[in-house]
Amino acid sequence: MGTLLQQIANGLIFGGLIAMVALGYTMVYGIIQLINFAHGEVFMTGAFGGLAVYSWLLPADVQQIWYVALPAMLVGGAIVALVIALLMERFAYRPLRNAPRLAPLITALGVSVFLQEAMRIFFPGASSAVPFPNAFITAPLHIGSITIPASGLLMLVVSVVLSIVLETYVNGSRMGRAMRATAQDPDTARLMGINPDRVIVLTFGIGAVLAGVGGVLYGSYIHNIDPYIGFQNGLFAFAAAVLGGIGSIRGAVIGAFVIGLIKNLADIYLPGGTAYDYVWIFILLIAVLVFRPQGLFGEAERVRA
Amino acid sequence: MKAMARPLIIVGAIVVIIGALLPWATFVLNDGAYPDKASLEFFDAPFGLTSFRLYLELLGLAGLVFALVPLRDRIRVLKAVGWGSAGIAVINTLFIVGDGGGLGAVTVADGHSAFGGLAATVGAALLLVGAYQLPKAPLAVIKPRLPFWAEWLILLVAFVALLLLVTETLTAGGHSGVSDPYIGPLFLSYLCAAGALLGVLWAFGVTKWISDMSERHRIFSIVVLLLCAVAVPFTSLGNDYWMTITANIGVYAATAIGLNIVVGLAGLLDLGYVAFMGIGAFVAANLSGAVAAEFGIRLPFIVAAIAAGIVAGIFGAVVGSPTLRVRGDYLAIVTLAFGEIFVRVSQNNIGGLTGGSNAIPNIPDLSLFGAQFNDSLTIGGIQLPGGVLYYFLIVLLVALVMFVFGNLKNSRIGRAWIAIREDEDVARAMGVKTGKLKILAFMTGATLAGLAGAVFAHKLATASYDSFQFNQSVTLLAAVILGGMGTIPGAVLGAALLFVLPEELRQFSDYRLMFFGLALVVIMRFRPQGLIADRHRRAELADEDVTGESLDDTAIKSPVAVAGVKEAGA
Amino acid sequence: MSTPVLQARDVSMIFGGLAALRNVSLSLDEGKIHGLIGPNGAGKTTFFNCLTGLYTPTTGQVLLKGTVLPGDPAAVTDAGVARTFQNIRLFPSMTVLENVLLGRHVRMKQGPLSSLFHGPAFRRGEAAARDRARELLAFVGLSRVEDELSRNLPYGDQRRLEIARALATDPAVLLLDEPTAGMNPQETEAARQLIFRIRETGVSVVVIEHDTKFIFTLCDRVSVLVQGELLIEGTPDEVRGDPRVVEAYLGKPPEEVEAELQAVQEGETP
Repeated sequence: MGTLLQQIANGLIFGGLIAMVALGYTMVYGIIQLINFAHGEVFMTGAFGGLAVYSWLLPADVQQIWYVALPAMLVGGAIVALVIALLMERFAYRPLRNAPRLAPLITALGVSVFLQEAMRIFFPGASSAVPFPNAFITAPLHIGSITIPASGLLMLVVSVVLSIVLETYVNGSRMGRAMRATAQDPDTARLMGINPDRVIVLTFGIGAVLAGVGGVLYGSYIHNIDPYIGFQNGLFAFAAAVLGGIGSIRGAVIGAFVIGLIKNLADIYLPGGTAYDYVWIFILLIAVLVFRPQGLFGEAERVRA
Repeated sequence: MKAMARPLIIVGAIVVIIGALLPWATFVLNDGAYPDKASLEFFDAPFGLTSFRLYLELLGLAGLVFALVPLRDRIRVLKAVGWGSAGIAVINTLFIVGDGGGLGAVTVADGHSAFGGLAATVGAALLLVGAYQLPKAPLAVIKPRLPFWAEWLILLVAFVALLLLVTETLTAGGHSGVSDPYIGPLFLSYLCAAGALLGVLWAFGVTKWISDMSERHRIFSIVVLLLCAVAVPFTSLGNDYWMTITANIGVYAATAIGLNIVVGLAGLLDLGYVAFMGIGAFVAANLSGAVAAEFGIRLPFIVAAIAAGIVAGIFGAVVGSPTLRVRGDYLAIVTLAFGEIFVRVSQNNIGGLTGGSNAIPNIPDLSLFGAQFNDSLTIGGIQLPGGVLYYFLIVLLVALVMFVFGNLKNSRIGRAWIAIREDEDVARAMGVKTGKLKILAFMTGATLAGLAGAVFAHKLATASYDSFQFNQSVTLLAAVILGGMGTIPGAVLGAALLFVLPEELRQFSDYRLMFFGLALVVIMRFRPQGLIADRHRRAELADEDVTGESLDDTAIKSPVAVAGVKEAGA
Repeated sequence: MSTPVLQARDVSMIFGGLAALRNVSLSLDEGKIHGLIGPNGAGKTTFFNCLTGLYTPTTGQVLLKGTVLPGDPAAVTDAGVARTFQNIRLFPSMTVLENVLLGRHVRMKQGPLSSLFHGPAFRRGEAAARDRARELLAFVGLSRVEDELSRNLPYGDQRRLEIARALATDPAVLLLDEPTAGMNPQETEAARQLIFRIRETGVSVVVIEHDTKFIFTLCDRVSVLVQGELLIEGTPDEVRGDPRVVEAYLGKPPEEVEAELQAVQEGETP
């Protein structure tokens, strides 16, 4: 029983991580119907950005003070992720806005591969796993029979809080309304005075900040990073976004927790163990796309003549 | 500014020639003279130059001639010459600077002066500036049709020339390709020169003329091309090293053509395609009698290959079925997921079929009438290199795949696939059974990949999950896109480039995947139809009409068409 | 009285609470031309989508020659219903001939194996298809542009190509969605003549249009759709004279409309 609860806790923590990446996928797809393949890499560069801030910008004594170091890393990671995402949008995706659908998809693939390799080549030591400091409180928490590292709990809490903030913003604010309008009908939105380019940039930006923060927290939790964490976790995040309903914020978060739980439970209880956890998630993804492509909270796409 | 065009071009061309003649480096570089002794010397015997300096000289002369001779399509010709020269000049200058440690290597040092690189760069720049000032002109078209024997002769000459060009390209850095330390930039220089030559031919309408001719005499062209392919082992590429390389290119080209059916024709973005090749490879490996194989039998290769194709085809149908209801982007992800499932499953040696991280090594060599495929062969006194039989087998494989692709494309099925790609809902409204056809596309592509995989396993003598990862799928996709979606020569060219370049540019091997990613982005942005464009694709993606003229030119001819196009909107 | 070739019985289409169509019925006899008019958003194209199997009606039935329509658009086309689209949807990178050849797909028999080997049967089938396609291009007057890319054609030619492509499926019923949108008077007249010629070949036609003069001079019967409901169905005279139609749709009293129509027929500028 203790192990089950522990796995559930781990699963929820992992779900919290995935949620921060899934939100970016779902928002960008909602707005421009593009699966940003390279979004996982935004997450990855955020993690490396945080590490860079820690290793090169913070003096040694400050590095130990977590309430200064961690925020600095979070900000650094978010900024790096933001810059990468905005460059991506501006130079790789925007020129292809009206091209046939294959083009931006392939471009996204290219950007993803490029970023992975560039990071591997140019970041010192990145050809194997790079150690990531635990910039948060190191002492683990004990609740009953389960042990949660503090950084894991932090990830969970931050994820939920940010998701709620995002949901409120999108549903309540003027800009949020503009985002939803552009997602539903860009031409009409333009007629209403909304500048779709700005809205799209904002969407990419929000997704990037979330992913960047997620990346730094991921590093603190796992204690090392490598250039491929974006690819691996990106697939999970995408599965979460699809499961929850692509375009739905609530869906992405709930989907993420479900995926996190499934992954951890599959590790222990399903045949094949950790080597096959990806396989189960992929099978679930395929099943969702076949039987209920709109996911839990999404809208069914209607064929128009 | 137009008045300045001609003088600029002439001056530029002359400066390029002078640059070619000047010394290029002020001292001998670390790995030896670059290239030969020529880099240090000024040449007063103009045709005593070699390699890239010779190319520059020839390009400069060409620029001079084309600037003075009356031409209709001067601008495209000179652009080709200009960009070729610029490429050679910049690449070599940068390389010398990089390898020689600084600008001193290309200017003045130790009492030696060497302005060749800078002069050539400046000359090329002037040439280009002048060329871009020239007025636009319609693309030259060679109209007259010759009697069939004359066209056959021209085609023969053209294809043999192509063969020679290819062999020269591949051996540009030295025959074995291994020993020359400067192989990278020399190869690139050669590519620039060859590219400029092809560009000039294109501007004169020669390439289109020949390509139309080959369309008219399709069977003859295919026969000649096959003969050229068979002739390769007798050329300067006839050694073990190149046999292996060309064999690899062939296998991947066959796979790329199969992918072209799925992506290029039917428009289904399959990101896990290489898994089908892997399935074929493992089936063949397990039926080959290798020690590590699961089944202790050894079937004749032809049987194993067919089995590989069939099994892969079945999986193609399996992968295709769930994707029927999902659109473009989702389809990509689902196929990616399948590809990853394959990698995981084979990495963990499912059912003992894949050997896991130990793979299935030592797959027995193929043999025909007692001749082992890996050994050297002697025919009538000529000794052919080792592995030549694999090469011939692969030529056969590529021919088969081309046959399948070509026939399907020009049929009811091919048209339906293209319709599905362009507008699936309308295709369905026209009575096309889109579901069945999409599965057929997957199955056909998968079967071909399975066949290629079977051959691959025997050539490599190993079947390992490592050869079939996501990276390979990306590389294949890049080959198809770079070469040109929907065309056979495109897929072959793409596969060739992606497997030859890493060999030639071995110095940059670590950066290879990064450049692939970048290349994908750049190509989709600037030339989405690839290098050799299907006439439909070009029209679809690049605003040209079927004859290759840009729509701007067509507009000049037909105001009605312009009005119509404008009215019809997007 | 023979069975109507196409019959819609009380068709309703409800999308998540919004009724796009409510109890719409239509009966098309063989060899007749039936017009469908109504303001924008009245549900005309939605109705067409129900007639072609793209949408399955929430309630009601569509019968083709007495049998219920299959639920899949490809099967419906196979059964004999073909259509054109409001926003022209040709295959842009295919030539004119290839577009029409695609229309022949459903009536051709060469499967994958035959297409793989290009045997004699295959070549005969292809040649027959090309001949028929050329016949149709001649029928609509596009023979000279056979090898042009469809996207390069002027607007009016693109509409004709779409019709040729639909006719290539050998339909019993042809549904035309706003065939004269954007056309000038000469092109409109040519379109009308074309539809008469189509009728002569035995195909029954339903036409959605905004150009009411076109509809009244073309059709045997006219249905008026307003906000998803059938307002009236009858001969052109019956419909034209009904004051509800004139008010709801044309927005002006009948006498003014009559006067305008008179003026046009007498050759004065409208």
